Amino acid sequence: MCVLRLRDVRLGYGTRAILEHVSLEIARGEFVALLGPNGAGKTTLLRGIVGLIPVMGGTLEYGFDRAESPLGYVPQRESLDPTFPLTVFEVVLMGTYARLTPLHRVGRRQRELASRALDLVGLGPIAEQRFASLSGGQTQRALIARALAAEPSLLLLDEPTAGVDAEATATIMAVLSRLNRDEGLTVLLVTHQLRMLRGLVSAAFWVQDGRVTRRRIDELTASGAVVEAQADR
Amino acid sequence: MSTVLEVLRPGFLLRDALIASILVGTVCPLIGVYFVLRRMIFLGVALPQLSAAGIAFALLIHRMAIGPHAHGDATDSMLARLGATGFTLGGILVLAALERRGREIVEARIGMVYAVAGALTILFLAADPWGEAQIVNLLKGELLAATERSLAFLALVLGVVILAVMVFQKEFLLVSFDRDLAVVFGKNVTAWDTLLYVLCGVTISFGVLAAGPLVTFGFLLAPPLAARLVTRRMLTFSIASAAIGGLSAFVGFCAAYRYDMPLGPSEVAVSAVVLLVVVGFTRLRRALIPQTA
Repeated sequence: MCVLRLRDVRLGYGTRAILEHVSLEIARGEFVALLGPNGAGKTTLLRGIVGLIPVMGGTLEYGFDRAESPLGYVPQRESLDPTFPLTVFEVVLMGTYARLTPLHRVGRRQRELASRALDLVGLGPIAEQRFASLSGGQTQRALIARALAAEPSLLLLDEPTAGVDAEATATIMAVLSRLNRDEGLTVLLVTHQLRMLRGLVSAAFWVQDGRVTRRRIDELTASGAVVEAQADR
Repeated sequence: MSTVLEVLRPGFLLRDALIASILVGTVCPLIGVYFVLRRMIFLGVALPQLSAAGIAFALLIHRMAIGPHAHGDATDSMLARLGATGFTLGGILVLAALERRGREIVEARIGMVYAVAGALTILFLAADPWGEAQIVNLLKGELLAATERSLAFLALVLGVVILAVMVFQKEFLLVSFDRDLAVVFGKNVTAWDTLLYVLCGVTISFGVLAAGPLVTFGFLLAPPLAARLVTRRMLTFSIASAAIGGLSAFVGFCAAYRYDMPLGPSEVAVSAVVLLVVVGFTRLRRALIPQTA
């Protein structure tokens, strides 16, 4: 059963299309990656999927009701302003706002969801720490926890391991792998780092020259495309 | 101490002015929190000036359409409110709409708004010499001239602002901190932004009418800047900002009363002193206790 289906989708900014004729399907429980060289349109595709840029043509369907099950979205951490006086718990709590109407206040259930999400990514002990004081890897895990607090059917991550060290990258990938395996969560992540995906993802979508094709990781590893993507890192 | 006791006496002559001061001092920082967090500090300078231009414009229109002002009458006050609110809301909504088209020249736009608003205020004043004295009083702020009726109206309007900020705190936080996430969650980001801007506009225009542009700007920024240094949660940040603002207004009022100084500048000076003390304290603490995170 598909959680996401794109048919002949066209995406871009203003009237300029970056990606055309994009068709892809992601089945429930899959762990897939969006790969490709810098500037190929990976983030554009992700932003189109989550609704941050309008679809210029074609159809985009979710296999679930977005009002009932919000998307779990993890942006690039640089997009968030460290000026805000927020604890890690407060940031994660924001994930629960997805299901709250304006007059519905945060209650015990929302706090429990946030606590559980923090425990899932291993940040429970530092819940009361300032969000701005976290390391790069911890920030990404906190943002993953925030996405989980929305109780999503589909988790989408934009370069979750960019700019973090090898140890933090391994921790983040282990968290994602566990969520996919144990919680049955469907995961789609944008990344440049092919090596870390081996043995974790079931498939990858290769984005290049405005087109998207579904490929196997070992197939990509064996091809020249890998060299190109890694050179872009 | 005797001044404080005198000011707190139930029959104190300037009781309405004191309450108006504390109201403006408390509510402006609640809105100012979002000016600081959304990095719209220059807007906090430009909008009170725009509000002043609105007051001058409304009274000029009154003279041209109806005739010379009857000083101190209700029509003048109503016109001033309309002018201040109209110009402030118009300005903030236009600037907000333009902001989404290109962030790189936001400061330039706000700077131009400030310059043009200042120029317009003077031009409107020059074209309406009969109303000049009245307008000058309004622009300086009418804190000392606050009446029971004007105070009740101010309290009603600012009370609605406080209620809205409290009720919709999570929506305002979400669209301010992570606009993209709000879109992904299907929130009507434009509507929430607009509501926040309307609350900013209303607070600023009523703040300018009650206390003048200088006091309004001072209370929009100084208390949140101080509170940000000593709080790490959004709720305590808002509460501390409002508390610092209200307390600064009270202390400033007492000082102005005791030493016979101008009220508005005294209140702003006290809030600036609080900011300096907090900055000093924070730096000292950082120097003495090394940060671990």
